[in-house]
Amino acid sequence: MPVIQFREALRAAMTEEMERDENVFLMGEEVAEYNGAYKVSEGMLEKFGPRRIFDTPISEAGFSGLGVGAACCGLRPIIEFMSWSFTLVCLDQLVNNAANVRYMSGGQFKIPVVFRGGNGIAHQLGATHSHRMESVFARVPGLVVVAPSTPYDAKGLLKTSIRCDDPIIFLESEKMLAEKGEVPSEEYLLPIGKAAVEREGADVTVVSYGRPLQRVVRPAVEHLHSDHGIDVELIDLRTLRPLDVETIARSVGKTNRCVIIDEDWGYCGMGSGILYKIQKRCFDDLDAPIEYVHSDEIPVPFSHPLEEAMLPSVDRIVSAVKEACYR
Amino acid sequence: MSADITMPQLSDTMTEGTLVKWLKKEGDKISSGETIAEIETDKAVMEMEVFDAGVVAALVIAEGQKASVGSLLAVIATGSENPAEVKKKVASRSQPSGTSSAAPAPVSRQEVAASRKPALSAASSAPTFTQASKGEIREPDNVGHGATREQAVAVPPLPHEGNGGRRLHVSPLARRIAQQRNIDLYSLSGSGPGGRIIREDVLKAHTAPPPATATNTPGPIGGGKTESIPLTKMRSAIARSLQASKQNIPHFYETIDVDVEDLVKLRAKLNEILDPEKIRLSIGDFISKAVASALLHHPALNATFNGTEVTRYGDVNLGIAVSIPDGLIVPVLRNIHLMGLKEIRQRSIDLVDRARAQRLKQDEMTGGTFTVSNLGTFGIREFSAIINPPQVAILAIAAAEKRAVVRGDQIVARTMMTLTLSADHRIVDGATAADFLKTLKTLLEQPGMMLM
Repeated sequence: MPVIQFREALRAAMTEEMERDENVFLMGEEVAEYNGAYKVSEGMLEKFGPRRIFDTPISEAGFSGLGVGAACCGLRPIIEFMSWSFTLVCLDQLVNNAANVRYMSGGQFKIPVVFRGGNGIAHQLGATHSHRMESVFARVPGLVVVAPSTPYDAKGLLKTSIRCDDPIIFLESEKMLAEKGEVPSEEYLLPIGKAAVEREGADVTVVSYGRPLQRVVRPAVEHLHSDHGIDVELIDLRTLRPLDVETIARSVGKTNRCVIIDEDWGYCGMGSGILYKIQKRCFDDLDAPIEYVHSDEIPVPFSHPLEEAMLPSVDRIVSAVKEACYR
Repeated sequence: MSADITMPQLSDTMTEGTLVKWLKKEGDKISSGETIAEIETDKAVMEMEVFDAGVVAALVIAEGQKASVGSLLAVIATGSENPAEVKKKVASRSQPSGTSSAAPAPVSRQEVAASRKPALSAASSAPTFTQASKGEIREPDNVGHGATREQAVAVPPLPHEGNGGRRLHVSPLARRIAQQRNIDLYSLSGSGPGGRIIREDVLKAHTAPPPATATNTPGPIGGGKTESIPLTKMRSAIARSLQASKQNIPHFYETIDVDVEDLVKLRAKLNEILDPEKIRLSIGDFISKAVASALLHHPALNATFNGTEVTRYGDVNLGIAVSIPDGLIVPVLRNIHLMGLKEIRQRSIDLVDRARAQRLKQDEMTGGTFTVSNLGTFGIREFSAIINPPQVAILAIAAAEKRAVVRGDQIVARTMMTLTLSADHRIVDGATAADFLKTLKTLLEQPGMMLM
């Protein structure tokens, strides 16, 4: 099976879908002439031309609104944000319009748009460019929030997202784009709303998604296994809305313990929302309180050591898992 | 809002109760503090009072029926509610699982109180809601029975009932497993944080070998009759709590001989004086009095322990072990330190009589800070007792008898008595216990000291 980068997997998904459906197009800052700020769309302008791959002004409110309008009119836009932090200036388009037009028009308008880009803390981008936006969008009925952690999932889920008739919030990370993984050359789709049990284990269920999996969760899980004899069942959520409560509950029913890990702030963070969704389902299966490992509740520091210090670390995860296991 | 009346938890070990008798019928008016029913627990029959005034709209269970703690017994229509409507609503509710045989999760006393459901108490001290300064309604503290209200203010709160005076902490999974396997959570000690009972604790209890099986009981020999006797509810409650105490509390014992010659003489003299009043003080009464005085000097023993925290009390609520047919009950003489010998005698008799008649009120069985067990009348020379948790010590009182003792270099006959203190070594040190016994000995050998 070919081994390709995360960014190549995204590009392959967009390319395949654009070849498949002429209503699909890509717009965003630097996506065309510059081949993408992070080279996700490299070569796509050359392949599809300026009608379907085009640069926008630095105005998120403008081009995301343009995307919602285009989707209303039957096109299937892919809109790249250089960073999800920048969507704070266009929440009106995403939350009020994209999420609600289908409902408020009584179903007359579908909004088949994919908003995608880098989310979260991505190495010294400072407090205003490091927002983890998942909890902002995952709470909004009408939106679908997807957060893949591997090139394979990224391709399969992006293709499904482009074909979806509802607005998709597709969360990547600048720090994951160079990650490599096996991606089949033949076409495949992955379902939205299905979590993956990435590793089966008996002792504790660890739930995470997106970048932290690659950065700390997978290393911590290995460490827990080799140094502490704790056999983790690792769940990669892949979709944050709708949440796959069923898969989590089935796992917790087996392990009786659960630790949620993300890089959000804890209070009202994504993990808090997940906790809310699962605690009642899992209550009688739990032998310990659900643990939640998240970032410190401070603005994200520019300093690299401080940035590292605020984020969940392998040590923090190990100690939370041990606590949940009464070790 | 109509008020639900549910089965209260009236003792540490109670999981269900029997509704002996309804004292109100549907349609009867009831006011706050009135008794609605008599409830039989594993230990006694008690009267159940209600807090809510209104009309009894529905009696959900019949007399003689059992119900688990927390399950619905009756509903009172309050305010301007139509009792018939309320009854209809009750009927349409899904049938509570309460009357099934499955044991429910134990409900702590605090929870019962907090939910403003019926309170059990002596009629003379029916709890009333008091208006606190910020306009919130507070329940009365469980203090000061027998004492004046002014004294009660300074009194620290009495220990709550329940497992060591706190809510039992159990992980949901452990609770579920215990319920499935019919394991009494109160018999377990938790190994999780803060003493939380976790799955492992329940599984360990489950795999513990049964004490005796049919295969190793001897078959009948000769012509004697063998009978198996199922445990009564009280017997199994006693078995459970004594086993838990002896298993969980590291007991240690200290024994002291007390010369009660002077005390016996004083008792005879006082009884002569009290004869017209038909009051006869017992040696036990003097010991109760002396124990109360000694405890005030040694608060380390007038205490409860919940596994994480020791609570010491400024008042003495003395538990007095009373044997009843096939069982044992420990009524509590509250604020005994404020009582004279006469009052101790009268109240002890009353409590013991009512204990034997199974007519104790809830607050007469709970809140003890120390216990005495007296086998003197059986002529027992010396014995040791098992601590009554969450208390930290118990005094075993043996018979007063003439013994040959050495005084100076002479052997003389004196009336002697042997006292044995059992104490919880987690909390109480040997020297602390010895100090208490020394004080107690001084008070009993020179009874005049009790006047100090």
